[in-house]
Amino acid sequence: MIDKATITIDGQKIQARYGQTILQAAREHGIHIPVLCDHPALPPEGACRICLVEIERQRTLQPACTFPVSEGLVIHTHSPKVIEARKFSLELLISDHPLDCMTCEATGNCLLQDLAYEYGVTGDRYQGEKHHYPIDTSNPFIVVDRNKCILCRRCVRACAYINGVEAISVFYRGFNAYIGFGADSTMQDSPCEFCGSCVEVCPTGALWPKMAIGKGRPYQLKSVQTVCTYCGVGCQIELQVRNNRIVNVTGVENAPVNQGFTCVKGRFGNDFVHHEDRLLKPRLRKYLLEGGKREGKGRGEWVEVDWDTALDIVARKLLETRDKFGSDSVGLLTSAKCTNEENYLMNKLARQIIGTNNIDHCARLCHSSTVAGLAISFGSGAMSNSIEDVTQQAKAFFVIGSNTTEQHPVIGMKIRQAVKQRDAILIVADPRQIPLVDFATLHLQHKPGTDIALLNGLMHIILKNGWEDKAFIEERTEGFEEFKAVVEQYPPERVSEITGVPQELLLEAAQLMGQNKPMAVIWAMGITQHTTGVYNVFSLANLQMLLGNMGIPGGGVNPLRGQNNVQGACDMGGLPNVYPAYQPVTSEEAAHKFAQAWGAPMSTKIGMTVTEMIPAAKEGKIKALYIMAEDPMMSDPDTNHVRECLEACEFVVLQDIFYTETAPYADVLLPGVSFAEKTGTFTNTERRIQLVRQALQPLGEAQPDWQILCEVANRLLATSSSTSGRTIDLQAPYARWDYRHPKDIMDEINALAPSYAGVRYERLERGETFQWPVKDEHHPGTPILHVGKFARGLGKFAAVDHIPPAELPDTEYPMVLSTGRVLYHWHGGELSRRAQGLLEIYPKPLVEINPEDAQRLGLNGHRRVRVTSRRGSIEAEAWITDRVLPGMVYANFHFPEASANVLTHAALDPIAKIPEYKVCAVKVEAVE
Amino acid sequence: MVATSPITTQTDNPLQDGRKRAMLLAALYIAQEQFGWLSEEAIQRVAERLNLTVGQVKSTASFYTMFKLQPQGKYRIQVCEGLSCYLVGGAEPIINYIAEKLGIQPGETTPDGKFTLEVVQCLAACGTAPAVKVNDELYENMTFSAIDQLLERLQQEN
Ligand code: SF4
Ligand code: SF4
Ligand code: SF4
Ligand code: FES
Ligand code: FES
Repeated sequence: MIDKATITIDGQKIQARYGQTILQAAREHGIHIPVLCDHPALPPEGACRICLVEIERQRTLQPACTFPVSEGLVIHTHSPKVIEARKFSLELLISDHPLDCMTCEATGNCLLQDLAYEYGVTGDRYQGEKHHYPIDTSNPFIVVDRNKCILCRRCVRACAYINGVEAISVFYRGFNAYIGFGADSTMQDSPCEFCGSCVEVCPTGALWPKMAIGKGRPYQLKSVQTVCTYCGVGCQIELQVRNNRIVNVTGVENAPVNQGFTCVKGRFGNDFVHHEDRLLKPRLRKYLLEGGKREGKGRGEWVEVDWDTALDIVARKLLETRDKFGSDSVGLLTSAKCTNEENYLMNKLARQIIGTNNIDHCARLCHSSTVAGLAISFGSGAMSNSIEDVTQQAKAFFVIGSNTTEQHPVIGMKIRQAVKQRDAILIVADPRQIPLVDFATLHLQHKPGTDIALLNGLMHIILKNGWEDKAFIEERTEGFEEFKAVVEQYPPERVSEITGVPQELLLEAAQLMGQNKPMAVIWAMGITQHTTGVYNVFSLANLQMLLGNMGIPGGGVNPLRGQNNVQGACDMGGLPNVYPAYQPVTSEEAAHKFAQAWGAPMSTKIGMTVTEMIPAAKEGKIKALYIMAEDPMMSDPDTNHVRECLEACEFVVLQDIFYTETAPYADVLLPGVSFAEKTGTFTNTERRIQLVRQALQPLGEAQPDWQILCEVANRLLATSSSTSGRTIDLQAPYARWDYRHPKDIMDEINALAPSYAGVRYERLERGETFQWPVKDEHHPGTPILHVGKFARGLGKFAAVDHIPPAELPDTEYPMVLSTGRVLYHWHGGELSRRAQGLLEIYPKPLVEINPEDAQRLGLNGHRRVRVTSRRGSIEAEAWITDRVLPGMVYANFHFPEASANVLTHAALDPIAKIPEYKVCAVKVEAVE
Repeated sequence: MVATSPITTQTDNPLQDGRKRAMLLAALYIAQEQFGWLSEEAIQRVAERLNLTVGQVKSTASFYTMFKLQPQGKYRIQVCEGLSCYLVGGAEPIINYIAEKLGIQPGETTPDGKFTLEVVQCLAACGTAPAVKVNDELYENMTFSAIDQLLERLQQEN
């Protein structure tokens, strides 16, 4: 074969591929050649000379990490000449090294130390002049000790080729050379994003995580491979544990999603697990113990109790409510933070024992419009492609309403690399100047709430120029003519007027889209959190069908899911309209299947969404709420209204790890555990199911959420059979709640959720990960959906018109507020505000405002502002920046003292019932 | 209506375009010529013009000895310590002589900002060694007294 070269290494003949270096070929065949500057994830540098090998018929020794293979090479990796050369290089390297290995953090985890040991180099041969650089401890995450730097430039390359910010360079030369950040400032003042990729690759103790300092030697740590609990990207991480504490976090090198790298939250944001706010014992309101009644709005004093007391009361109250007011008087909020197994149990608790479909979770608030929209267009509501094929094969990216580098950072990094390394085209449509715009080919800065007009306008131009994929439309879709008729009404003049995007930019964007196939569409909350959320999603589905970008690598519809397991929570039936694996509750067939399995009658009535349940509590329709690891006081729109509703609800159980903002409105607090204290599975944004492994014993008396649910359920079952309520046939195959391990729950899921049929723990434990549908235990999973055929048969074009947002600015509230998140925080801030470093680097809420408006309002420099909507008012510091357009303000909902959700309103999309977080009218004033 | 407008807004990307990196050395030369040395501001401007990061520009500028990251004297006195100059007894004695006269070490600038002393490699005047260069002017066959005269003259000029 022409692409193979036979080479001989240390007498062993191997088949290498052309284009490989000697080092790569040797690695592939398990032959050890030592390295320092080379790292498998980075382009070779050839700087350290440790990998020198002897090649027959070559005059000098050659670096294996850069020397390409060719037919017939005969290589010696450990000849006397080679060893002498390596020793010499090492002697030089350590001649100016501090050699304080006794107290160095890197001891036992240092390539330089390992090599010195391997080659018996002591540092006695050359006693060089030594450096005395000051140690940079400017930032909360990484300590920089240049005295230990060997200038291998791994960090420089990681920052450029993994992250993409290029914050590190080498300054000066020779003995005076050192690594520096930004324009040679401290790390804190440089463009660094603290992803820690440089720490991951540094072979010595020069770059070290602050949190790990003094916490233990490598051989004292237990290391457990698991999945990050922050976002839906699903990076695998390794928790380093000592004495039941997480002391450090590293990446997992062969992880399918992140290949060893993470963002700042995944690596440096896990100390929340040990925060003093953790709930360590169950708590009840005193009135419950005394058998009394709640009086007024308040709920009275808390008392700490033992588990049995708490669980008995929870079971009794739930049963009372169910039997007195009917099954639908109970609402359950399941959790996108919890495992698949736990979500499955919550769904079973609701449907089997309580007998209601009133189950929902925060997916309602983020991607319910995606799930509903894509299900209608294609028959499946999930991300169609994989992170890998999209980031490696898309010729163009269309990122709309996704601040990817801050919200899904590791995917953001990969998009930056696609642009930098293979010239991929990047079109960003966003009302804000988000960081990704720096890498974009085009930025379409459309006004908030004008996505449909923008998309119709682009498709109008595509059609006018004949850039559509006619064969695809013909063979695989329906509804094209009606769609076309609507799109015809969106010529550039009109679209430009609605959206504020110049016509030339519309033309350029359409041309790039039409002429670069495959193009991947990526979106997030900027598309979904509108009263037109579902229609926005239809438009994106239209675009991808029009261009024939469905069912192919590098294309697809790619909604980026928010929470670590929001995909799984939806898959497991944590929604009011579907059982696990999206089997509709309205279907007689499905109802029959689950009635048989669980031994109880099933309701075929669609339940309430979270945005309906909470108001229903105030109206008295919902009498009891069971909330598992959700924080509606932070995450739901119109906080003041949510408070009134929760105050009105008769009985609220909250199962969480902290005393959250919602806790004051609960009657019972059940202490659950963090991801580090339990076993289970998470499903990431690309439908990949990964194993979450327990690294810590539960703290205090806290218990894994699945165990708590089992305790509650078993108590309900025991009492249930003796009262007149529902009867449950415990002989039915899956009626019982006697799980000993999350694995047992997964067995039940395998049987009842067809897309998870082949998700077996034995496979996961072997290191397999796969994307659903996984049809049976031999099925490899499904990286790309809709190949050759849509889940619903034909793809459905939807004719949709521009509809303005529900609340537009007027004279009283003249500005538009948009909300979202920032890199250093997460969701309602429940976790990230309790991670020391994250809080240190972004300690308070900031409201973004354009310099023009700032001037008009008389805000000089950083001043406090009051932002007021019809529903409430917050005060925060202004960040004057052109990230936002004039007339617009942007606030986040991470901090309770000034949460954007005090201002937002609960105008809902009619189909998905998602609130319009992205647009509401406000006024802004300077605070004196 | 047909989209005919050329794609003009495509952002130039640093790593995407190797030519930018290749232009960096030339740009740094020009900047140094204009400003006399490469101040933070000069580096910033080069970075902006070439769409590179400030770090990349400073990294390159600091690597090459011919780029000056400190303010330079009005007269840059470059003394050759190449092999020919060394052999005819130039180099060291001449460097020391000038250093003593001006009260500065090689690499330093006099407090009045007038002279900077540098030691350089072959000035391509080996036949007439030892050689010294002041800004763009070459002085050959140097002796101590020739240096006295030269410095005196430069002191008087403005
Ligand atoms: S932490 Fe990340 S962004 Fe910062 S210097 Fe290291 S690699 Fe670059
Ligand atoms: S800091 Fe570490 S990775 Fe960076 S050059 Fe120095 S030794 Fe290499
Ligand atoms: S990108 Fe998401 S999953 Fe990955 S480390 Fe960051 S927060 Fe965790
Ligand atoms: S590993 Fe090859 S030169 Fe450093
Ligand atoms: S060695 Fe001095 S000019 Fe050539």
